[in-house]
Amino acid sequence: MADEIERKRMEESKEQITNESKETKEGRREFLKFFAFAGILGGLSSIVSQLLAFVSKNGKENEDEANKKSVREKQKYKWGMVIDLDLCTGCGACVVACKIENNIPITGYSEEDRGTEIEWMSLIPAGEDKEFLMPIPCLHCDNPPCTKVCPVGATYINEEGLVAQIWDRCIGCRYCQVACPYQRRFFNWKKPDWPETYLQWLNPDVATRPKGVVEKCTFCSHRIRKVRERAKDEGREIKDEELVRLPACAEACPTGAITFGNLADPESTVSQLASSPRAFRLAEHLGTEPKVIYLAKEKRKFISREE
Amino acid sequence: MGADTRVGRNSSNAGADPFELFNIGRLKLGWIAGVVFCLALIFVGIVSFIQQEKYGDIVTGMRTPGYGGVGWGLYVVFIIYFIGVSFAGITISALTRIFGMEELKPLTRPAEILTIVSLLLGAMSVLADQGRVLYALFNLPRYARVMSPMFGTFTMVISCYLFASLVYFYLSSRADAWFMTQRSRGVLKIFYKIWAFGFSGKPDDYLRHHISSFWLAIFILPILVTASSTLGFIFGIQAGRPGWFSALQAPGFVVMAVISGTGFLIIIAWFLRKFYKLENVITEKSFRTLGTMLMIFTITYIYFMVVEELTANYAAPRKDREVAHAIVFGPYAIPFWLSVVCLFSSFVMLFYQFVSGKTFIWINLLSGLLVNVSAILRRFLIVVPSQTHGLYLPYPTGEYHITLVEIGIIAGLCGLGILLYLFFVKIFPILPLDTVGVREKVGEGKITRTEVRSTLLLRRIFFSLTLLVGFALMIIGFLASARVGTKPYLDPPIPFAPVVFILGVMLSFVSAVVYEVFPGKYRANER
Repeated sequence: MADEIERKRMEESKEQITNESKETKEGRREFLKFFAFAGILGGLSSIVSQLLAFVSKNGKENEDEANKKSVREKQKYKWGMVIDLDLCTGCGACVVACKIENNIPITGYSEEDRGTEIEWMSLIPAGEDKEFLMPIPCLHCDNPPCTKVCPVGATYINEEGLVAQIWDRCIGCRYCQVACPYQRRFFNWKKPDWPETYLQWLNPDVATRPKGVVEKCTFCSHRIRKVRERAKDEGREIKDEELVRLPACAEACPTGAITFGNLADPESTVSQLASSPRAFRLAEHLGTEPKVIYLAKEKRKFISREE
Repeated sequence: MGADTRVGRNSSNAGADPFELFNIGRLKLGWIAGVVFCLALIFVGIVSFIQQEKYGDIVTGMRTPGYGGVGWGLYVVFIIYFIGVSFAGITISALTRIFGMEELKPLTRPAEILTIVSLLLGAMSVLADQGRVLYALFNLPRYARVMSPMFGTFTMVISCYLFASLVYFYLSSRADAWFMTQRSRGVLKIFYKIWAFGFSGKPDDYLRHHISSFWLAIFILPILVTASSTLGFIFGIQAGRPGWFSALQAPGFVVMAVISGTGFLIIIAWFLRKFYKLENVITEKSFRTLGTMLMIFTITYIYFMVVEELTANYAAPRKDREVAHAIVFGPYAIPFWLSVVCLFSSFVMLFYQFVSGKTFIWINLLSGLLVNVSAILRRFLIVVPSQTHGLYLPYPTGEYHITLVEIGIIAGLCGLGILLYLFFVKIFPILPLDTVGVREKVGEGKITRTEVRSTLLLRRIFFSLTLLVGFALMIIGFLASARVGTKPYLDPPIPFAPVVFILGVMLSFVSAVVYEVFPGKYRANER
């Protein structure tokens, strides 16, 4: 469609140029102004006609959009995660695994470095006396406040419900960071740095990020892609067992507290866990509709105090 | 202000040399000292900025919110402050233009320059806040989204507003530029001649300017309300940040913008009056009018503030209350109560001046200073506390310690602003010459000539064409930047749609220039 518009525009401009050149050859000086005027009028009319074409195309595209929406409602995949706080021991394996998997730079302990750490998966102390730790990745909201505010469209929610970040487009205004009610977005306050021996262990599947951009959890989208391609090669659907421990954090969890999977499939493990009576989502009153669901019996009341 | 005083005003400066009156093109020791001071500030700013670009934003006091810091700090405070101050220029011009407030007329030009300079500083502090400045410069023109109040509207609004103010200033200064060509020689003469392009000092020139500036003022006023409102929306639409989500943000920002702008103009007026000994031009009445204006808006803002704090401290949801408590009683109590004292004391002083019937210039000056201090403090109290306190989920509370780099960059920007002002003062009369009495009153002569039909027609055609094309581009650019006809988060359907929008707005405003500057042919009126 864009090509078509481009071609039309080229043709129109060519026509305009040839018309103008003919006119100037013939034209006498007194009429020059008149012709310039006519040229401008012609340009204007071409703009108007393009606008009309644009609007009519929009109508069509809106229909397409509506179709797509209905498809999305019946979409095949909607990635989600269930974290069972009753199983979680707060060991921190998920945090470390995530850091290694996603090439997250290592922050020092100096006073200056405080508050510059990047943790796509964090453990935050919760409870009355902060007696338990709560793992929290990006919640991949269905109605994310962060994507609404991005000035350049560097963050968006894709068809499968992942809240994605285009690092290369990000200008580092930190509006998304400020907009996230869960503080799940991280800014590269300095140039990412690793000890030299670590450099050989960087994951080739994940790009490193430069200083001055915002980054976040991707639900290990590179692993999802691998699974999808393997299934495609073998000519089958993605199996639930492939997904359950797919992200690095879920894979590393020794108690199996983290479960990943397809929320659009009611038979999947995540969907069944998500319908447990222990299930809840964080700060639900904000209407962000997170796709990370927590399970807890006793710990729920401590968390709800902070929502 | 009767006709007598105006005659008196005119006679005192009548025939005076504008170069002598305003020291144009003449360097004095005080001015040089000022420039050196500004250059020193700019140097500090550049050094700080290089530090920030080299090491990243770790050199600032900002850190990840929820992890003990704030994502937005001093830069955002000053973005809002600078853009707020810019409110003064066009407001004053529009007031004089639409409501005919004669006593403010001398201050129109200082106010317009204030608008232009502070908008430039606002745009530059936006850039200072970015993690990747070059990417911002390239990606904003390509991908800016209308849906994001931060840039979609915000940068666009800055650029449109800045351009509109420039056009307004340029057109309103042409008469003086024409006057200056007659009094100058050499390079300066050429400079003024270019500036005054086509202006011939005939009554119909004035009349034409009279019409175009009236309409410009009418069109710019809504832009400026939009500019400050979008600043309010940056915070007002954040449901995830307790203390920010409020419909009061936008009107609050507009009112505070008027306060800081008017306050700043009073300070500038005081300096001009003192340095150029213009007691008979910038009269006590000028100060009194500005003071009364300041008083009304200050009490309006105090009302907003009281309502907000009462609601938030008494019956708001828990997290909102936490933020409000932190502001009123907690770690932010000192800046909060300081801002309250500043606002309230300036209101009391101005009210005293208002009821006493006398004019105390020092009261106006002091109030101007105090409200500007409170404007910065209030913006700080809006931006920072909601990021450190009242966080959803059990995150620890944060702190924000401003670093020297941040202060350095802001100081550099302030230095740049003062420097621009100082330079302007040396190349152009800072007050409209007709209000000083050097040039004759505008538009009082009889129209002695008429434009021939052909050029009049062409003038009208070109004017309407620029206006129409401008409007068309503006609408197309806006719709495309709003991602109409594509997915809301991806590229605009037309490449560089934000640029199309900005060009459209610029062209619409250029139409006023076309209307005034288009060269015409004339014949003398028959008597």
